[in-house]
Amino acid sequence: MKHIEKGVSLRRAPRDFLRDLNLENASTGLVAGILGLSVGVVHISAGTAAGLDSSFIMIWVISYLMINGLFGLFMPAYYRLPLPMANSIPGALLFAAIIPVVGLEAALGATLIAGAIALVAGLTGVMSLVMRLIPMPIVMGMVAGILLSFGLNMVDPLEHAMLPASIMILAFFVSSRFLRKVPPLIVAMLAGMAYLMTTGVDFSGVEFSMRFPEFVVPEFTLGAFLAYGLPLAIILVGMETPAGIGLVKGMGYKSAPANAITAVGGLGTMVSAFFNLHSTCIAAPMTGVCASPEAGRHDGRWVAAVIAGAIFVVCAPFYGFVVSLIEATPGYFIAIIAGLALVRVITSAMSIAFAGKKHEMGALFAFLIAASGLQILEIGASFWALVLGVLVSLIFETKDFEFVRPKTNESAV
Amino acid sequence: MNLHKDWSIPAITAGFVAVLVSYSGPLAIFFQAAESAEISSAMMTSWVWAISIGAAISSIGLSLWLKVPVVTAWSAPGTALLVGLFPELSLGEAVGAYLTAAVVIFMIGVTGSFDRIIQLIPPGIASAMMAGILFQFGVGVFESLAAVPALVIGMLLAYLVFKRLTPRYCLVVLLVVGVGLAMTLEGASLEGVTLELASPQFIQPEWTWHGTLSLAIPLVLVSLSGQFLPGMAILRTSGYDTPARPIVTVASLTSFVTAFFGGITTVVAAITAAICTSKDAHEDPNKRYVAGVANGVFYLIGGTFAGTIVLLFTSLPGEFVAVLAGLALIGAITSNVSAFAAHKDYLEASVITFLATASGVSFLGLGSAFWGVMIGGVAYNVLHRRFDTREESSRISDSSR
Repeated sequence: MKHIEKGVSLRRAPRDFLRDLNLENASTGLVAGILGLSVGVVHISAGTAAGLDSSFIMIWVISYLMINGLFGLFMPAYYRLPLPMANSIPGALLFAAIIPVVGLEAALGATLIAGAIALVAGLTGVMSLVMRLIPMPIVMGMVAGILLSFGLNMVDPLEHAMLPASIMILAFFVSSRFLRKVPPLIVAMLAGMAYLMTTGVDFSGVEFSMRFPEFVVPEFTLGAFLAYGLPLAIILVGMETPAGIGLVKGMGYKSAPANAITAVGGLGTMVSAFFNLHSTCIAAPMTGVCASPEAGRHDGRWVAAVIAGAIFVVCAPFYGFVVSLIEATPGYFIAIIAGLALVRVITSAMSIAFAGKKHEMGALFAFLIAASGLQILEIGASFWALVLGVLVSLIFETKDFEFVRPKTNESAV
Repeated sequence: MNLHKDWSIPAITAGFVAVLVSYSGPLAIFFQAAESAEISSAMMTSWVWAISIGAAISSIGLSLWLKVPVVTAWSAPGTALLVGLFPELSLGEAVGAYLTAAVVIFMIGVTGSFDRIIQLIPPGIASAMMAGILFQFGVGVFESLAAVPALVIGMLLAYLVFKRLTPRYCLVVLLVVGVGLAMTLEGASLEGVTLELASPQFIQPEWTWHGTLSLAIPLVLVSLSGQFLPGMAILRTSGYDTPARPIVTVASLTSFVTAFFGGITTVVAAITAAICTSKDAHEDPNKRYVAGVANGVFYLIGGTFAGTIVLLFTSLPGEFVAVLAGLALIGAITSNVSAFAAHKDYLEASVITFLATASGVSFLGLGSAFWGVMIGGVAYNVLHRRFDTREESSRISDSSR
């Protein structure tokens, strides 16, 4: 266990939570929570497309919120860092696609092994080593590329819903300049809601329902492991975790516990395997929101992540109800709020990636690849962004690498 | 003139690739417009002749005169306008509108008002807009990967290897390797391409209110905002302090002449210009004008054999051109991204400009380059502008972590 980083304390967490709670981190926690809840819609559409029945899909999403939310309560509380937990979207798409092929129990067995692999990667300290070897500008180029789509989705509504979109975006700009006391995200949200109220939203589709996660015993098959378990392990260790850790580090939290995040993600994934769920890991977009300057004081941003976790746990049983609420609001509303919450994160990611004049080309390749959403061998863009980014940088910017220069004692990351 | 001393293979290749990219990309929109206008293929050839010759003359003339790689082309957003207007708009009306647009752009150029508009845009915002436009081409490389993996990986490898070994000739090699791969892997064939001289056809212009309101005025707007603005920005961000006045003036005068043969407004190119103004064209910025001249020469050849050239370029797979353009623009994207990242005091506004431009939003008939600058300008003024001092500091804070 010597590679697992020590945190602050869980016992004093509730008291410190109240001490550090403020309007900024509460509102960003809310936004991160809503963002995470709205992601469940992806699971629903992927599951439906794969032909899974709707009752199963609902239990899947409910487990996701419940289990990810529980881990998401403890990680930030223990480390006092903005480390919200959720699950892997590429993993979810793989999971939905593999169930009709190998069956649910075998798919969950493969999930269990993938979780174990991530746990070992964290316990043995492989993760922090990998993170040290990949130069920061390349990691941040990749992060900027992943988050870019949120930024673009924020601008897109200007085409179809120009009035509400410009009201919300302008409200954000103006209030971040002139209203220091109120978080600009809250202002933007209120402005959007005011617009929706005056134009009228159709809430007739909203209905109340309540369900809980169900226990399933996994089963092990080699086929399921090769087709789904191994790719999932690579996704968890190779792309989700580096993206999340890179983000937290990029936002100025130098002590981000790389090994613990990987190991806890692995453990969470193993637990997930018994409850119809494919993974638990750090979630880059939500981390971006919670760790952003919108979340207020630097040492208080962990509160936002705890709130996001709490929202998950509380909303889990009522997800059917939440989905009908989300579907009642127009698509641009969440897109704009998420985009606004991430603008400053994208900005600082681009600044770290490109303003340092080091690893520029590697960072650019990482950025472009991550933004393209490319998929090779079922593995998503962020993994290839890192691999190709480092490769390009090794070819063209050899002298920028730390290990090329004479060894120094400082652990510069 | 020291053209015989300054010429270089990379510069000429850059000029060629620029022509290749614009013939295989934006020209497709022009074809679409021709289809909706239901014109004969001889008339279509005349159109291509006119736009090519317009680009050739202004590109060669301006590059030699100013000693700067001025790359001109026809107005791509302008041709997009045409698609929706034909066939209600007659051919004569269209030409009349081209003439009106040329006169208006000439007036704007000669009075120097365009230079004043350009000066208002902070340099970081201009770079961010450029990066946003070029970004789609860079991402296009990796998006094509799913469709034609072997071709893209082959070209990517060739790019990495030759960029390292002979950065000067990388583009030439890439072109050759790419065509080779496209022919062997994707079965592109150059059969059926025959040599034919184009003969221009004169069109009697017809001036109407309908043509002026529906084509001429929008054409002026989209040409200035979608072409001249980013085109001048790319020259500025590449380090050329050329005033817009001579460029706008010459381009509009050329437009006036070629309009009679169906040529839509000649403008400064943006994307293809980036290929000729970057380091890939020549190490020495003072010798990159050769790329502009070469660009014009290839347009001249293209125009003379309009039918043939068009056939040739459209027979190559679209992905090949997308990947070639993307890789040719990597240098330009890097320099624009790091240029706006360096202006840390208003980085947020620059990122917003980048996002808005890259998203490709277009409304009210104006493209994302225009909206990028507008939205970024609002963000700049609301978020970063200090109201008490007029001074716009552009100090570059060196980040040494």
